[in-house]
Amino acid sequence: MAAKKSTLKVILLGDGGVGKSSLMNRYVTNKFDAHLFHTIGVEFLNKELTVDGYKVTLQIWDTAGQERFRSLRTPFYRGSDCCLLTFSVDDSQSFLNLSNWKKEFIYYADIKEPEKFPFVVLGNKVDVAERQVSSEEAREWCQENGDYPYYETSAKDATNVAVAFEEAVHRVLAMDDKTDYLISTDTVRLHRKPRSATTCCS
Amino acid sequence: MAELMPPDTRRCTYFFLYDGSKVRGEGDPTRQGICYFYPEETPLDKQELMCGQLAGVSRCVSELSSSPVHTLRLRRCKFAIHMMEDFFWALGCSTEVPTVSVCELLDHLINIFCFYNGPIRQSYQLNSKETLAAQWARYLSHVQSGPSEIYNIFRCLRTVDSTTVDPLLLLKAALILQACQRCPLVLTGCILFRGRVVSTQMSPQLTMKVMVQESETYTKSQRSNGASTSCSLGAPVSSTAVFLTTSELQYLQSTPVNKNVSPFSPPLLDAPPKKTRLSRTLSDTPSTESEPPRLQTPQKLSFSPHMSESDDSFSPAPSQSSADSPNTSPQPTRSPLPNGGHAVETEHKLSHHHGFKSNGGSSVFEENQCLNGDDVNGDAARRAVFDLQGDDSGNEQSRDAQMVVGDSGVCFRKAESKHPPPPFTCALDSLEESPLIPKMLYMHRVNGLVLALLVEHGFMSDAASMEEVYHSSLASLNGLEAHLRSIAAATPGTSGQYTFAHYDCIQSTLTTNVSGRSGGAPEHPFVRATSLLHSHFCDTETLQEAIIRNAGVAVYGTRSVAQVTYFQQHSGSLRNSGIPNQQDSAFSLPSKARHRLLKHGVNLL
Repeated sequence: MAAKKSTLKVILLGDGGVGKSSLMNRYVTNKFDAHLFHTIGVEFLNKELTVDGYKVTLQIWDTAGQERFRSLRTPFYRGSDCCLLTFSVDDSQSFLNLSNWKKEFIYYADIKEPEKFPFVVLGNKVDVAERQVSSEEAREWCQENGDYPYYETSAKDATNVAVAFEEAVHRVLAMDDKTDYLISTDTVRLHRKPRSATTCCS
Repeated sequence: MAELMPPDTRRCTYFFLYDGSKVRGEGDPTRQGICYFYPEETPLDKQELMCGQLAGVSRCVSELSSSPVHTLRLRRCKFAIHMMEDFFWALGCSTEVPTVSVCELLDHLINIFCFYNGPIRQSYQLNSKETLAAQWARYLSHVQSGPSEIYNIFRCLRTVDSTTVDPLLLLKAALILQACQRCPLVLTGCILFRGRVVSTQMSPQLTMKVMVQESETYTKSQRSNGASTSCSLGAPVSSTAVFLTTSELQYLQSTPVNKNVSPFSPPLLDAPPKKTRLSRTLSDTPSTESEPPRLQTPQKLSFSPHMSESDDSFSPAPSQSSADSPNTSPQPTRSPLPNGGHAVETEHKLSHHHGFKSNGGSSVFEENQCLNGDDVNGDAARRAVFDLQGDDSGNEQSRDAQMVVGDSGVCFRKAESKHPPPPFTCALDSLEESPLIPKMLYMHRVNGLVLALLVEHGFMSDAASMEEVYHSSLASLNGLEAHLRSIAAATPGTSGQYTFAHYDCIQSTLTTNVSGRSGGAPEHPFVRATSLLHSHFCDTETLQEAIIRNAGVAVYGTRSVAQVTYFQQHSGSLRNSGIPNQQDSAFSLPSKARHRLLKHGVNLL
């Protein structure tokens, strides 16, 4: 536990225009700008948090959703501790593309055990009246794909934004706890083997 | 006089600023007038000797000839001279460096000083000699920090390598700058990465000045991991006072947002018809002061190589010329205006139109008019082969003889009036008498990346604006830095088969595969030939192509209004001796250059 990482890298992925940059800005600076330009490549902001008494720097990476920026963004997937798959509830295509984003992330981030990696799904723009994706559809997808937590957010009016990022942090820390445990059992096993070997020979 | 240092790769061998007003009476020691002397370890006696003699000679010659002294040559050392009121600057370089370049360098130095310290007289009233000496030392070391010898020749803006950086990232940088300008207190900006320009909204000259501070804060941040003067936003943000010339300011105010560097577009056409104009085009609205020179030098109005404001890059003249008859434009600058009185209005206008009639007086000690034939041979010089006998290391005698053609011809009068490529715009804004307008330079550093913004004074006290700019750009700067860092590793090496240098006169950028590694020994002949050709191009406005060669090396140079390119092919056997003939491999250079350089984005077709 003591060696827990102090910087957590969380990456936002999803189609262009679903509100990834706005979510990041809302969470870190609590501002909303309706006229943001397309993100080119990647951007990131840091936010200091205290979780369970630990000081943690949350590094939120915002990526370009458009296909033409693919080669610019993919090199920065590596080293992510958590991936926030984002779609817009008023755009069903962005929802359908979630699995592509997940695939792209797993491939470029070089995730060894995708089923254990913490994904969080965000349905943004809930402030918009005309929805194309229902809560049920979204939850169903999350359920089927690995029981991911799902949050309906609005960067515009700040709905659920902080909650979603905090959930991401908790997921990562929970993962870390598990791996810490696994590593320690591994170590024990390694030490045990040679000892048993020597007893065997003697 | 003291023995001068042998020519070496160091750009500058001497630099000093001498204040004549401190030495009035017979009994006043010369040392009182020495504001700064480089190398600082020079014995005081020798400092006095040089200051006294150079200043004396210059005053004498300029009074005899009624025209200012621009260069002096003393044995193996070539001095660019700048006089303003009682101040006297001299910058000495090896004779191998083109005169044009030495003069530009001096002007650039003075420009930098005034940019950060304000008017010269005033800054010496407000600050101690020692404080300002440290500033000079800093600027001098900055301007000499080019990676290779070739940077001694061209005053250029170093940019990120556009062949390795995704153009989308350049777009990203441009958008960050644009976003910052949503705050009305932000005038203009540039983004720099590790001493190179990623994107700039400023003129190349202004960008160069800003970069001095960038490299300063970079070394500081490297040293102490902190930042300089900071403000509420914490360590990575700093600010410093700077001073713009009227023309710089006007350029900023008159240009639409994010106007890119293009000093030759008529930026002020739509500006309110003030007297101050920067534009140098036909469409200039005539004004009384500028009329006469315009009429006299109609050729200056065409879009031709020599329309450059480089004309005045090392002449203290323009400010004065406005007051006088335009013919006598290169007046010494004993102007009636102490700390920037009036007269800026006329200065810049004239600076590019000013007549280049020689006043006859030449102040160069030797070889002044050697290459006066350029009017005669100008047209014939479309393609000239100069035989550069003697190899590069030895044979000083013959080299000196060649220098007459290539180098020393570029003295005084001609260099001043006719050197063609527009790159040397740094002194366009001659500083003297120009009222300098204080602004602030805001810098936000993210590791190797710097966002530099020229802002109104109010910006620094306006917390809301500052926070807005800071927060709206932070994420993008973080990202851009991450991107650039990931590709920064690749450095272009010499590609072996050829050496080239391509100078973009409009943007003041240099593309070259000259690495400058290990003293640059193998590249030295190329650099030397380039330097000679450069001088010659500057000297002969109609010259477009030239080949220069000796037994071992042939270098091809070609130029247009917007660019100058130098090319050398490395190959086993050169048949380049004696009188030029069809067998000469030198003659295949133009076509080789055209083909080889295409992949570097240089189009000579």
